[in-house]
Amino acid sequence: MEAVIECKGLTHFYGKRKIYENLNFQVPRGRILGLLGKNGTGKTTTINILSGFLAPKQGECLVFGENIREMKPATRARIGLLIEGHVQYPFMTISQIERFYAAFYPKWRRDAYYALMSKLRTSPRQRIANMSCGQRSQVALGLILAQDPELLVLDDFSLGLDPGYRRLFVDYLREYAKAEGKTVFLTSHIIQDMERLVDDCIIMDYGKILLQCPVSEILEGFRLYRCQWEGLGESEAVVSALEPFHELFHPSLSRRTLEFGSFAREETVQRILQDCHIEYSGLQASRVSLEDAFISMTGKY
Amino acid sequence: MFKAIFFKEWLKTRWCLLAALILCSGFSAYVVARVFKAVELQGAGHIWEVVAGRDAIFVEPLTFVPLLVGIVLGLFQYFPEMQRKCFKLTLHLPFSSLRMFFCMLSYGIAALSLCFLPGLLLLGTGLREVFPSEFVSRIILSALPWYLAAYAAYSFVAWITLEPTWKFRAFAMVLAFFCLKIFFLAPAPEAYNAFLPFLALLGFSLFSLSWLSVLRFKAGKQD
Repeated sequence: MEAVIECKGLTHFYGKRKIYENLNFQVPRGRILGLLGKNGTGKTTTINILSGFLAPKQGECLVFGENIREMKPATRARIGLLIEGHVQYPFMTISQIERFYAAFYPKWRRDAYYALMSKLRTSPRQRIANMSCGQRSQVALGLILAQDPELLVLDDFSLGLDPGYRRLFVDYLREYAKAEGKTVFLTSHIIQDMERLVDDCIIMDYGKILLQCPVSEILEGFRLYRCQWEGLGESEAVVSALEPFHELFHPSLSRRTLEFGSFAREETVQRILQDCHIEYSGLQASRVSLEDAFISMTGKY
Repeated sequence: MFKAIFFKEWLKTRWCLLAALILCSGFSAYVVARVFKAVELQGAGHIWEVVAGRDAIFVEPLTFVPLLVGIVLGLFQYFPEMQRKCFKLTLHLPFSSLRMFFCMLSYGIAALSLCFLPGLLLLGTGLREVFPSEFVSRIILSALPWYLAAYAAYSFVAWITLEPTWKFRAFAMVLAFFCLKIFFLAPAPEAYNAFLPFLALLGFSLFSLSWLSVLRFKAGKQD
């Protein structure tokens, strides 16, 4: 499938602090891809690089085959950008901002904007500065939908939204993207929203990508394993023994309950536990939500 | 598109422009009224003598008014762009960033000129009632560096406000302080006459510095 976004060998530092090194990923056309990561793993940095507001130390980002650093205005018209916090010009009203943006986009869809605005209990003369974060999110989304972009880049779209507005945003966006075949690249710190919205996800840990795959693969294939440790001796030794096995994510032992996540089948896990001479009982594998899988893969701390 | 850009700038600055227009025209009216009153009390002959012999120009109350207008207009125009990084929205629009920024600066220059024009016209026509044209041009030329300082201050505010790092902002502020002092160094009338083209050039060349801030903003520079 054709890649709308292609990031090759991205490396970035803030001062001496490495954010990531040699990051490579692609976003295929027509897919909704969510970038998941704990705070400080470089989600916003990636969005900033992708939207042309940060020059990476190394590597390049191609959007529609064009290097983002030298992007032509016509290519920018194909990208709808949502800035973290649903930022929009606070000094404009609902109708003024629509008039302003309409002048720049040849395919402007006024109806799409006002269809969303009609769901808000606001007047067209209300200033954006006086709106709640939820209302502002709808204005920002309405403006992006009216631009009719081929690619939507959304930075932490759930920030500051109450559950109702989050649901409205997610449902409206998913319906729109699927109906119109749009490509979406987004981040959010609320992973339940991602589960409802995205097709594929990239899970980032500090400095690297842990995983890029369809969400369905995680939901179907990832298991949270729990068992009782029956052995004697140091509990740290049990965790240390399992750490070299990369197919087991973040093993932890608490009050004799051994816990870790893995894509591996139960037989494989049993074999690993036996190879490590770990005495255990009652091994249970359970399916988990995307959020639990994410925490299991990246650790609680 | 140009209309839309000017519309956005107008929304940000309309109340500031109205206040600036009233302030500039008000101060000019005050200066003219002061001259009229002096003529009425002491006679035109005496006032002419004061202008010719003692280098009086009567427009001192105006000294820092254009500077203030330049600074405040710059703040009203560029500060909202940097609030929560709205400037990203502006730069993401499908329009050349350089042309976008040029339009924003052009709006500022035009707005400043429109603020100053009625006041200067009022000053010119008012003073022509009392003084010969040589005296009027002497007074206007003496005040001209203050107006040029307004354009320089405006471009410094654009540079400083759009600059993404505090370190560079502090450097630009220090530079702005010393650079703007040049416009207020000589108290004698027409002291800057030979120097005016250079001052104008300095004021307008400063506009390119603010483009540096835009480039640094786009490169994601931060403290």
